[in-house]
Amino acid sequence: MRQREIKDFAKRLVELSLDNERQVSADRVHGVLEALQAKPPRQLKALLKEYLTQLRRELRQTQAVVEYAGDLSAATLESIAAEFTKLTGRKVTAVGKPNPELIAGVRVRVGDDVYEDSLATRLATLSIPNF
Amino acid sequence: MSSVLEDIQKEIEKLETKTVKSNVGTIVQLADGVAKLDGLSGVMYSEMVEFPGGIFGVALNLEEDEVGVVIFGDVSQLKEGDEAKTTGRLLSVPVGKGLLGRVVSALGEPVDGKGPIDSEERYPVEKIAPGILPRKSVDQPLATGIMAIDSMIPIGRGQRELIIGDRATGKTTIALDTIINQANINNQHKNADGTFEEGFRPVYSIYVAIGQKQSNIARTVKALEKAGALEYCTIVIAPAAANPANQYIAPYSGCAMGEYYMQNGMDSLIVYDDLSKHAVAYRQISLILKRPSGREAYPGDVFYLHSRLLERSARLNEDNGNGSLTALPVIETQAGDVSAYIPTNVISITDGQIFLETDLFNQGIRPAISVGLSVSRVGSAAQVKATKQVAGKLKGQLAQYRELAAFAQFGSDLDAQTKAILDKGDRTVELFKQPPLSPKPMEVQVALIWAVENGFFADVEVKKVAAGIAALQEFFVTAKGNVLDKIREQKKLDDTLTAEIKEAIEEWKRSWKA
Repeated sequence: MRQREIKDFAKRLVELSLDNERQVSADRVHGVLEALQAKPPRQLKALLKEYLTQLRRELRQTQAVVEYAGDLSAATLESIAAEFTKLTGRKVTAVGKPNPELIAGVRVRVGDDVYEDSLATRLATLSIPNF
Repeated sequence: MSSVLEDIQKEIEKLETKTVKSNVGTIVQLADGVAKLDGLSGVMYSEMVEFPGGIFGVALNLEEDEVGVVIFGDVSQLKEGDEAKTTGRLLSVPVGKGLLGRVVSALGEPVDGKGPIDSEERYPVEKIAPGILPRKSVDQPLATGIMAIDSMIPIGRGQRELIIGDRATGKTTIALDTIINQANINNQHKNADGTFEEGFRPVYSIYVAIGQKQSNIARTVKALEKAGALEYCTIVIAPAAANPANQYIAPYSGCAMGEYYMQNGMDSLIVYDDLSKHAVAYRQISLILKRPSGREAYPGDVFYLHSRLLERSARLNEDNGNGSLTALPVIETQAGDVSAYIPTNVISITDGQIFLETDLFNQGIRPAISVGLSVSRVGSAAQVKATKQVAGKLKGQLAQYRELAAFAQFGSDLDAQTKAILDKGDRTVELFKQPPLSPKPMEVQVALIWAVENGFFADVEVKKVAAGIAALQEFFVTAKGNVLDKIREQKKLDDTLTAEIKEAIEEWKRSWKA
C-alpha cells in the first residue's frame, strides 16, 4: 500500500470507529482492532500508526480540553461542553486540566481552535514584537 | 511615582478583555528552517505563524493534514511538539525614509547597532505588481556613472536591467557605482538646508545582499559609507549564514522598501545581489517541503519566484504619482554559461542585460562589459540627448572593431580603412576603462567621448590614452567647469557648445604632454 492508500484506509477505519452521535466509541475501536488482528493487511504497523494519528485528530474535534488556573467547578465544565456542542454542532465533552502558567482564567482547545481568556495571554500581548 | 502608576492604569484600561481565538498546530517535523505542523487547519497561504519564544514563520505549503512553514530566526530554539498559532497577519517590513543610511535584516530589523528604525509605516513583503493602467513607458534616465553603460546600454527609471557574469568579473562594482552615482547626483542638487532643488527628483537606493559572505557585505557597507552614499541608501542583508527562509524573503522585503518611494511619487533603485543564490535558497526550501523538483532540481515555480519580484519594478504615470522603482538584479553564471536555467529565466524577465566577460576582465578591460552581448531594450528612450549625440554610433563602431580585431590577429596586411577602425577602436576601449567606485557625471562623459570621437586622441599612443583621458577630465573639472555646467543644464549639444568643447580640448592638448 502506498502512503496515500494507507491514509485513505485509516480514514475509513476512523469512520467505522464513530458511534451514532459521531463520537469515538471505545467498543467500536476495539472491534476495528480485532478485525485488523484477525485479518492483518500489508503494512499493518504503518496503518495502525496512521489510524492512531487520525483518531487523535478526531478526538480533538469532540473533546474540549479546558486548561485553568485556580478552581474550576464541574458545573462550569459542563456549561463549557454545552456551549461548544452548540457552537460546533457535534457533541463535545469537556476535560479539565490545571495549568498554573495561565495565572488566572481559562484556555479551551477544541480541534485546532483555541479560545483563551487568561491573564498570561493579556500580559504577553503587551510584549509582542510589532510585525 | 503617581504618574507612573497612572500610566500603568491607562495601559490596563486599554487592554482588551474579550476572549482571544486562535488556530494552533503542533510541530511534527523540523529541518533546515522549515517546519511541518499538524493542525493549523484555519491558516491562510502566506500568513504569519507565531512559534514559542517570539519566533515567526510563514505558511507556504497547505496540505490536507499538514502545513509547511518556513521559519525566520533561530530555529534551534524550537523542537518537535512545540505549539504554533496563526496571527491573521501577512509578513510586513518597516518602510520610509527612516531606513535611509541603515543596514537591516530580511525582516527589516536593524543590524547596524544604530538603534531602532524610525518608521511608522509597514508594507507587506509580498504584493501584486502594478497593473497595466498605472504604468508609463520609461522616459527618464538613470545615470550609472559608468561610461560604457550610459553611452551604449542606457538605463531608464523603472527599467529592470540584469547584470550577469561569472564570479569576480565586477558585477557588484557596477551596482555600487550606480548607487554612488545616484548619491553624487542627489548631493549636486541639494540645497544648504537639506532640501532638493525644485523639480529635481532624487533617487533613493536599496541594496539587497543575498547569500553573500559577511566580510563582503561589511566591505560593501564601508565602500558606500566612504563614498557618502549610505545616507541615500538602505542595505538589506541575508548573508550566507542566515537561514534559507531569510535569504528567500530578503529581496521581497527590499522591494517593499523600494515600493514605498515609488508609491509616494519618488524614484528609487534596487539592487538584488544576487538572484542565483536566491534561487538556490528557494530550491532548498522547496526540496525540504517535498515540492516536486524540475530542471536542475529547481521547483516548477522558480520562474514565478523571480517574475513576480521583478514585475514590481515599474514607472508609474502622473495620475499615480509619477514614481519609479528601477531594478538591477545580479546573476552569477558558471563558466560564462548564460543558457543555464536561472540565467535564461531572468534574462527573459528583464528589459536587457549587462554581460560581463572574464576574458575582458583578465585583459584589463574593466568594467569588463561585453558590448556585443549587452543590450538595453527600453533605455535608449530615456538617454540624455547630449550623450545620444556623441555616442549614438559607438556601439556599432565597437562591434565592428571587435570583429576586425579578431580577424587582424592572423597578421595579414590591413588596408588603411581597416587600420583606422582598429586604431579608433583601441582608443575607444581605453576610453571606457574606468576604475571601480568612481562614477563619472554625464557632462564629463559627453566631453570625453566627444574628444575621442573627434580624433583628439588619434595621435596619442594607445597605452597613454587612459592617462590622457584622466588628464582631460581633470582639466575640464578644474579649468572648464563652465562648459561642463552648460552641458549639464542644456542636456544637448548645439553649435556654440560644441565649439566651446572643442576649444577647451584644444587648449588642453596644447599643454598636455603624453
